[in-house]
Amino acid sequence: MELTAKRQAESSNWFIKNRWWVLIGLILIGSVIYAYATNAVVTTAVLASTLRQSTPLILGALCGVLGERSGVINIGIEGQMLLAAFVAFLANVYTGNLLVATLAGLLAGGVMGLLLAFMSVTLKMDQIIGGTVINILAVGLTGYFYVSGLTTKGKFQPIPLGPLADIPLLGPVLFRNPPITYLAIILVFVLHYVLFYTRWGLRTRAVGEHPSAADTVGINVFRTRYINVIIAGAIAGLGGAFLTLEGVGSFERLMTNGRGFLALAIMIFGKWTPLGSWGAALLFGFTYAMQTQLQFSGVNLPPQFIGSLPYILTILVLAGFVGRSRAPAAEGIPYEKEG
Amino acid sequence: MTSVPAQDKGKDRAIGAVRRIWRSISVPLVAVLLGLLIGGILLFVSGANPFEAYGALIKGAFGTPVAVQRTLEKATPLVFSGLAVAFAFKAGLFNIGAQGQLLIGAIVAAYVGFAIEGLPAIIHAPLALLIGGLAGALYGYIPGVLKVYTGAHEVIVTIMLNYVAINITDYLADGPWKDLSPGNVVARTPKIQPSAEIPILGNIPLGFIFAVLAAIIVWWLLYRTTLGYEIRTVGLNASAAQYAGIRVARMVILTMMISGFLAGFGGAVETLGIVGRYQPGFNAGLGFDGITVALLGKTSPFGVIPAALLMGAMRAGASQMQFSAGVAKEITDVITAFILFFVAADVIVKWLIRQRDSDDERIMLSSGWGGN
Amino acid sequence: MKRIMLLLTGLLLLAMLVAACGGTAAEPPAQEAAPTEEVAEEVVEPTEEVMEEASGDCSDEAVLCIGLVTDVGEVDDKSFNQSAWEGAQQAAEALGAAEVNFIETKDAKDYGANIALFADQGYDIIVTVGFAMGEATIEAAGTYPDINFIGVDQFQGEALPNVTGLVFHEDQSGYLAGVLAASLSQSGTVASVLGTNLVPPVVAFNEGYKNGALSVNPDITIIDTYHPGGLDVAFTDPEWGATTAAQAISNGADVVFGAGGKTGNGALIESAGHDGVWCIGVDSDQWETVPEAHACLVSSAMKLITPGVIDLATMSANGEFPGGNFFGASGLAPFHDHEDAVSQDIKDLLDATKAGLLDGSITTGYNPG
Repeated sequence: MELTAKRQAESSNWFIKNRWWVLIGLILIGSVIYAYATNAVVTTAVLASTLRQSTPLILGALCGVLGERSGVINIGIEGQMLLAAFVAFLANVYTGNLLVATLAGLLAGGVMGLLLAFMSVTLKMDQIIGGTVINILAVGLTGYFYVSGLTTKGKFQPIPLGPLADIPLLGPVLFRNPPITYLAIILVFVLHYVLFYTRWGLRTRAVGEHPSAADTVGINVFRTRYINVIIAGAIAGLGGAFLTLEGVGSFERLMTNGRGFLALAIMIFGKWTPLGSWGAALLFGFTYAMQTQLQFSGVNLPPQFIGSLPYILTILVLAGFVGRSRAPAAEGIPYEKEG
Repeated sequence: MTSVPAQDKGKDRAIGAVRRIWRSISVPLVAVLLGLLIGGILLFVSGANPFEAYGALIKGAFGTPVAVQRTLEKATPLVFSGLAVAFAFKAGLFNIGAQGQLLIGAIVAAYVGFAIEGLPAIIHAPLALLIGGLAGALYGYIPGVLKVYTGAHEVIVTIMLNYVAINITDYLADGPWKDLSPGNVVARTPKIQPSAEIPILGNIPLGFIFAVLAAIIVWWLLYRTTLGYEIRTVGLNASAAQYAGIRVARMVILTMMISGFLAGFGGAVETLGIVGRYQPGFNAGLGFDGITVALLGKTSPFGVIPAALLMGAMRAGASQMQFSAGVAKEITDVITAFILFFVAADVIVKWLIRQRDSDDERIMLSSGWGGN
Repeated sequence: MKRIMLLLTGLLLLAMLVAACGGTAAEPPAQEAAPTEEVAEEVVEPTEEVMEEASGDCSDEAVLCIGLVTDVGEVDDKSFNQSAWEGAQQAAEALGAAEVNFIETKDAKDYGANIALFADQGYDIIVTVGFAMGEATIEAAGTYPDINFIGVDQFQGEALPNVTGLVFHEDQSGYLAGVLAASLSQSGTVASVLGTNLVPPVVAFNEGYKNGALSVNPDITIIDTYHPGGLDVAFTDPEWGATTAAQAISNGADVVFGAGGKTGNGALIESAGHDGVWCIGVDSDQWETVPEAHACLVSSAMKLITPGVIDLATMSANGEFPGGNFFGASGLAPFHDHEDAVSQDIKDLLDATKAGLLDGSITTGYNPG
């Protein structure tokens, strides 16, 4: 009840409440236009790269958001992505059908989600351990069963969205992407809507904040957590599928390379919301694209300096502007039904 | 009925002690066996001979004095990083940054080790260790202070600082601190002076003894001092701790610094005791594995030691396993994952060995996640 | 007992499920290695995977055994570890070796211990792969003076009789790649996507590439990028390679040189998805190792590790082990399907450049150290 009231207040004062974000948004749009006028090629290249680099990160972060909003910490995103990437790769090799391979990746992620849910909800294991188990298991299984010499049959190619794709700047950046990238953007908004404007979302958040209260009003805490964590796993699986089916087109051991942990950081950065996480993921993608572009421009600095920029910038933004973030209250605590 | 003969009492007490010990080691022991069992089944199903593989693994880890030494060497940094992570958990902080703190400690110790000449070994090695530890503490100070004063979540900041630490150390090893001896093209620091080396006593690396001492000190600090009590209180409930007059902000910063010190010290031991210099890539993953070790050891300072030994043994034996049985080393990761699973899922194990469940030892570390 | 049996059954099912999901793809590569003799002279049960000649005792003078220790990585890395392992296997076959085996290094601190595993068994030739193992190899050479060591990518400052560094003129190979790239480029922009600058051969490839490109077209724009992460991830990040190649292509590059293990492979595969973009591989002929990139892969800047290892192993078996440094062959890989895309003029230029590099009339401008 309290949540409903809060939500109404949130929506009515949206502009006033978010005036700083609006301002920052305007400044960003302004600088992009200015940059585009100055150097169209580089601007397009950087922004396209931004979106691409943010895609696996936002998918991982959305996995985190969904699980943690229902009260289950997931530090196993890295492992879920890696295992799903591997399964999607194998499915692509043996079926040659990208759609089937994507579904296989989703399924593998979902199964890993089920495992996490089983550990943290049913066995009431510490959730950080549950995630760590998944991470190590994924490294071990993919490394042990990987065989070289398997060749995929192609990867997802960009699908231009009709006339939209011909708009300068926006076309090449936003409307000329491969399918999983589109899907990731759509998922951001779908999850935002689901979490904050549907009955299911309200229940999920209630379970994440006050499980016992939720239980009293008849919400099945266990079931809600199970379903959220499984779907979350599938989303991480999509992130893994992105790596092998859309990004690289092949699988290598350890190819997630810490993206799952970055996704975790991005989720907290985005204050456990889909939109906030997307903003953080884009910031990351942008700093990555910029450090590559800096190297392209032949700046005479050791790559180690340029390579540190994304992380230092993140710390500065976090410490300077974002500040304290609050996790869902019941997170990490297994729910014990009373009586 | 109340007057039980004295010797019976003693016997009861002895039985009680045995029971207690059994209670505390039965679950980990069964967990290890189950983990090995599942790994063995996996080996069998994929066409390898599990007995041959495990035989080689054990031989490589314990078969000879040199093998034991390598197991201890592998376990040493894991004890330190495990202690670092476990210590932070006690204050409700998740230090994913042990890796970065360890790297910084390792390279700073290398610098003290090679740049200062003419010190006697009794001063040089401890000095390098101490400064390495302090460098780690300083690197742990950053996330602590940012958390307290800006609210920046330590999980984000430590992950970011891990990347920055890799870049800092790579830069130093390939730039200002590079080994300029003739013919060297590799990015690495010069070799440390002999006076900074940590010796090996017989087949026991002195570093491992330091690690055991560190575990004892951490235990003492946590359970026998006011500071430890305050840190644990903050970990259990920060707002209650605040209410009780504990300066939570100070505790958070201090905890991160001690945690960073432990990781940095581990890196220094690795540099001075094993590698003999800093070289990029030689410390990969040691800090990250600290998370696994801390969790395997149930975040207890004394639990960390067997956990690190277990992982160290699997690492030391993995080469022999590949050499003799032709089994890919990744199988040890699978085994580790299942052992961790069964250690944590003690419900299953206790049901299996018909032990009654007791809630007192259930570990719950994720409660500190919320960033308060 | 019932519970335990129940659990066992459950575990068995689970493991089979896992194996069935992941393991449809035959057996792990490690299975190919033949089991070797135990120290305690246990009788090794002959399995179907034991090599036919595997009957000898490596400590016997007359029995040839070849061992290989990888750098941190695997023998199926589609890169230098794999090339070296293929060399060791082919040499073993050609020389009738009783044993050929490998150990994959997981922790850089194990270099010495892994070498010792072979040395203590009396292996005659030990191949150590990667510049990072140079120090451990020299140390082992002192401990085991009767064993010959082949150090791939390990430049020897002082010559030891039982260590030969198999080194390459990567800069020359890169130079040729640069000449080819600049000759093929229509846009006047060429790119390179590289592993880390901490690894000297990678830098040599890139410096050669840049100067080669400039020699053809002094006004060419070269955009080169090193992976910004540490040594342990720089060669295993194909997605970074792919996305960096894409960004380079958006910047107008129409030739991409991917030099950095799996990271570089990512760049090659990405380039294959863009029309009008050529890509150049590295180390081995990547036409064989990265079939996904056939659409763009015009050639590879090779350093031929496999024949180099075979040559040195043969010399060792014949008692002619050179010691010091041995320069392996380097150069461009065949053009394969893109033979027609490379004009005769370009081929002539490449031949002339190669001749010039060999006789010293052309220098690559790369000075290490």
